[in-house]
Amino acid sequence: MPLVEIRNLTKRFRKGDEIITPVLDLDLDIEKGDLLALMGKSGTGKSTLLNLIAGIDQPDAGSIAVAGTTITGLSRGKLADWRAAHLGYIFQTHNLVPVLTAYENIELPLLLLPMSNSDRRKRVNFALEVVGLSDRAQHYPRQLSGGQEQRVGIARAIVTHPTLVVADEPTGNLDEETSRQIQTLLQELNRQLGITLIIVTHDVDVASIAKRQLRLEHGRAIGPSQSPSAAFSGL
Amino acid sequence: MFRFAPYIWKTLWRHRTRSLLTVSGASVAIFVLCFIGSIQEGLNRMVQGEDAQRRLIVFQENRFCPTSSRLPEDYSRQIAQVSGVTDVLPIQVWTNNCRASLDVVVVHGVPAAKLPESRELRLIEGQWPAFVSRTDAAVVGRQFALRRRVRLGDQLTFGSMSVHVAGIFESDSSAEEDLIYCHLLFLQLAESQTAAGLVTQLEVALDPSAEPDRVAKQIDEKLRSGLVPTTTRPKGAFQTATISDLVDLIGYAYWLGLACVGLVLSLVATTTVMSVQDRVQEHAVLQTLGVRPGRVMRLILAESTLLCFWGGALGVGLAWTILTWGNFSVGAEGVAITLRPSSAMIASGLGISVILGSLAGIIPAYQATRTNLVSSLRQS
Repeated sequence: MPLVEIRNLTKRFRKGDEIITPVLDLDLDIEKGDLLALMGKSGTGKSTLLNLIAGIDQPDAGSIAVAGTTITGLSRGKLADWRAAHLGYIFQTHNLVPVLTAYENIELPLLLLPMSNSDRRKRVNFALEVVGLSDRAQHYPRQLSGGQEQRVGIARAIVTHPTLVVADEPTGNLDEETSRQIQTLLQELNRQLGITLIIVTHDVDVASIAKRQLRLEHGRAIGPSQSPSAAFSGL
Repeated sequence: MFRFAPYIWKTLWRHRTRSLLTVSGASVAIFVLCFIGSIQEGLNRMVQGEDAQRRLIVFQENRFCPTSSRLPEDYSRQIAQVSGVTDVLPIQVWTNNCRASLDVVVVHGVPAAKLPESRELRLIEGQWPAFVSRTDAAVVGRQFALRRRVRLGDQLTFGSMSVHVAGIFESDSSAEEDLIYCHLLFLQLAESQTAAGLVTQLEVALDPSAEPDRVAKQIDEKLRSGLVPTTTRPKGAFQTATISDLVDLIGYAYWLGLACVGLVLSLVATTTVMSVQDRVQEHAVLQTLGVRPGRVMRLILAESTLLCFWGGALGVGLAWTILTWGNFSVGAEGVAITLRPSSAMIASGLGISVILGSLAGIIPAYQATRTNLVSSLRQS
């Protein structure tokens, strides 16, 4: 049984007088342990699909089930609970809470789960170790480089041991070298910890770490493609 | 919620200038509110106590100022014969100011030997015999002594008279603690050589079973044929009527208090709205991470409530300090209301702060939870 089952998913929204359909009647299965790259031109619905899978947006039609839980139609509160327990979200712009240290930012999602202080501490320290920032635990976001901030963002996304991690252009704001480091980190998370990852990206290099690529066009899935270069041939 | 305490604290500290200004604004408003409240409390203490209901004041008819009321001291003998009356205390009142004043001096001349038994006064300095035996002796209320820094053995001069402080007393009635008691004859003669035998008012103690209004009516009827007609009322009613202008002013001050409440509400609400608008993206991130909208709402409410509570605590503390050390009283026509801090003032000041803080945060908190997460995340 796939970890993520998307059936007949449609999302429309109005932009001025125009109705835009970034996702149209989409079917998609994602297996546990997969690393899927969602690609496509700007406005083809990659981020919209990601947000729908993350439960921060609601579809107009269709359904999404993650690990057997149908998340479409859940209330805002229940979706929040579901995200806290099952989802890790890596943002393009890191979106760390500026008043909290790296440690506190990573700890934040764990505060929502029933857990002892010592377990919480162990998990945060482990996540810091995984992203290689144990020595930056007490630094505030303003004291970190862009790459370090993104590492904290990644640690925050994996610290709850989520069922699924989604990343929206995780290297979009980083230089080439830092971008490469983040790609390696994401690949290691998938390979060594078995984390299921869905990445939205424009970057061919980032897509190259994926086990599977999916190109979106006019709201529909084109692919999966055989290789990142093939996936990008139409861009 | 307590797990998020560091986040709440650090969020408030992030904009510390704004937080500090809001706290200080709220503290000033709550201070004014407490100060006004203490005047109202002082008035209530004065006119609603048991003494205020069970004692009668006989005053010259159609007179309000103590300087204009002149009753024969002998009336006390006639009043004592009225059924239900247990005791009559003739009082000559001298005041430095008949108009509303923040530092009124009121001297009551009474038969010295009767004072210890007719009033529940406890001498904290001096001895009753020293007061009774010396004709120019006076006992001074603790509140007045503190305000004017009067000490035992001091010589106090008011107008043309000078008294020797033979004692300082305390009383459960704060209004009493603002008075000076001296010998009746001394005060009568100090005012005028012809004032002997005349008093300002007569205070009537009643039998527990007596009805105050009925006895008051009987007294006025009995003295109608006398030299000077009288008006007799329960002490509380007399005091309220005497300082009616002041009561009206206190009534207006109540509206000023309400304005303070509105001020705190709008101040904290404005700060909270600004804070929430600055953090639209941050709140969307929190919700994306799994923080429930209800919890986001509670976090924002906690911020606004804390700001207001700190302001309230500061304002209450300021009011407490100033009222304790200032020993203020406001009076008119020889009746003084003392301003004292009280536990009710603290509780209401802090309670109002918490309620206002919560109310001020409701709308911005609700708005923060209703925003579209996707568009909020795109804000930078």
